[in-house]
Amino acid sequence: MTRRTVAGLALVVVVLGIWEVWVQASGTPVYLVPAPSDIASVLGEDASELVPAALVTLGEAVAGLALGGAIGLAMAVIVTFWGQLEQGVMSLALLIKSTPIIAVAPILTIWMGFGHGPKVIVTALLTFFPVLINSVEGFRSVDPAVTDWFRSIDVPSRQYFTHARWPSARPFLFAALKVAAPLAMIGAVVAEWMGASSGLGRLMWLAYTNLDMPSLFGAVFALTLLSAAVYRLVVAAERRTVHWA
Amino acid sequence: MRCNSRLAHVLVAGVLLAACAGGGSTGVGDATRITFMAGFSPQANLPFVGAYVARDLGYFADVGLDVAIQHSAGGGEHLQLLAAGEVDVTTQDAAVLLQRRADPGLPLVSIGLIGQRGQQAFVALADSGIETPSDWAGHTVGYKGTPPPDVFAILDAVGLEVADIELVNVGFDPRVLTEGQVDVYPVFKSNEPDTIRGWGFELNMWDAADFGVPTLGLTYVATGDMVAKEPEVLDAFMTAAIRGIEYARDHPEEAIDIVMRYVGEEGDAEHQRFILDTELIDSVSDTTAANGLGWQKAEQWSALQDLLLRYDALASPVDVSEVFTTQFLSG
Repeated sequence: MTRRTVAGLALVVVVLGIWEVWVQASGTPVYLVPAPSDIASVLGEDASELVPAALVTLGEAVAGLALGGAIGLAMAVIVTFWGQLEQGVMSLALLIKSTPIIAVAPILTIWMGFGHGPKVIVTALLTFFPVLINSVEGFRSVDPAVTDWFRSIDVPSRQYFTHARWPSARPFLFAALKVAAPLAMIGAVVAEWMGASSGLGRLMWLAYTNLDMPSLFGAVFALTLLSAAVYRLVVAAERRTVHWA
Repeated sequence: MRCNSRLAHVLVAGVLLAACAGGGSTGVGDATRITFMAGFSPQANLPFVGAYVARDLGYFADVGLDVAIQHSAGGGEHLQLLAAGEVDVTTQDAAVLLQRRADPGLPLVSIGLIGQRGQQAFVALADSGIETPSDWAGHTVGYKGTPPPDVFAILDAVGLEVADIELVNVGFDPRVLTEGQVDVYPVFKSNEPDTIRGWGFELNMWDAADFGVPTLGLTYVATGDMVAKEPEVLDAFMTAAIRGIEYARDHPEEAIDIVMRYVGEEGDAEHQRFILDTELIDSVSDTTAANGLGWQKAEQWSALQDLLLRYDALASPVDVSEVFTTQFLSG
């Protein structure tokens, strides 16, 4: 364990300790703010409930991220190959991005029912935009010397894309995924909060309406862990794929 | 209002405090200032109407109160604010009052049972072929958040098992019924049926109370601490609020005019009238006929508690005698 890791853990322990002492000393009721010890108890007692719920949310988030990422990437490719479509595509993307999810989610449920579909779509709507923006930027950030060389040998645009634009965009794509992956977890939870029969979002909604703050914070903690794990996975994938990362 | 000893909780619950920003404090002239928080957004729920009318027609002033009226977003924060002392009186469904009293142990006391029957019922489209709850077999039956004991009690009453239906969490948008995403939809009787019928759909409706299920509706709620320490304030509040409800019963048109001042211009007065009329019907029972509006008995609360316990909807039994009081009702 490195000194940096130890220092980080020590900081977390100190913050939790201050939180615990403050809640206990002030007599703050558990229905307002739970002590960390209350949350830890819930995490232990409700693990059999939290784990399946977390897996449901993770599944929806991954599916939504895959869909959103694919759409964002596809739109970026379109903009790159057909520059005249850029304004239209980006306007459409901004329109979708600016639409409040809270307004869209109920409509998706009406159209698609109560399964995982609406949650995946909501997550995709939240995650496609960073992938689109970063990918477009990445496709355009080819080293001018490389571009000149490809032009000098008169390479077709498809090969230029494969051998110059795509490698140039990969770091940008991973930067987007590092933003979008935790966002996907939040998107799935928000969608579940609107109405679901399973998932962390449903557990949070139930805990919130039942004023069960330890369970609410426990579910938030589980979501945080999951988001951190997903982020780490993206970083690990980046290190394997982008050699200079 | 009693904010002075709550500062620690105020820091803890900053968001909650923001909701309390318009709240009052002790004494404005000779009047005692208190805060009433309706348990949802402005609408003609009968306990809300009682407060609106009492404030606007001066009934609160007549009993020496200056009542600030606020509204909850409906997520349960009004109960947190009440327990934290930032709100003096609020409203809550009787079953939820029992549940929150049992877990996490909020010191809630019903000081007036305005809804003598439960607020919820179940509906199906009239052309769906679902004529009775026996026809629910093989269909999807919705619930809002968690399946209410009502649905299990109705199934028991008609001899069906839970396995005979598919329970689905449908949330709060009735369009899922009209768009065919669910066959049986849970409604607040005084609200959604009017909305759905307004879209041109006829409904078949089933109220658990019609199947002998002991449901109860909205109550005025205070804390046990306030009941013990400031009974004169609560007595004045209930006197004026019940007077407001009686005015609404006798002058519904004028009451809706008052309600619309709180609902705002975008509101639908006819829909508010439906809410008021429906809840006026559910506000009377043999108990209120004998004792007056808002009256409540231990038998009613015990029967509701037994129902919740039977269907695992209550964490643990509570002492029913501590859940309600009639000391602020005229009898």
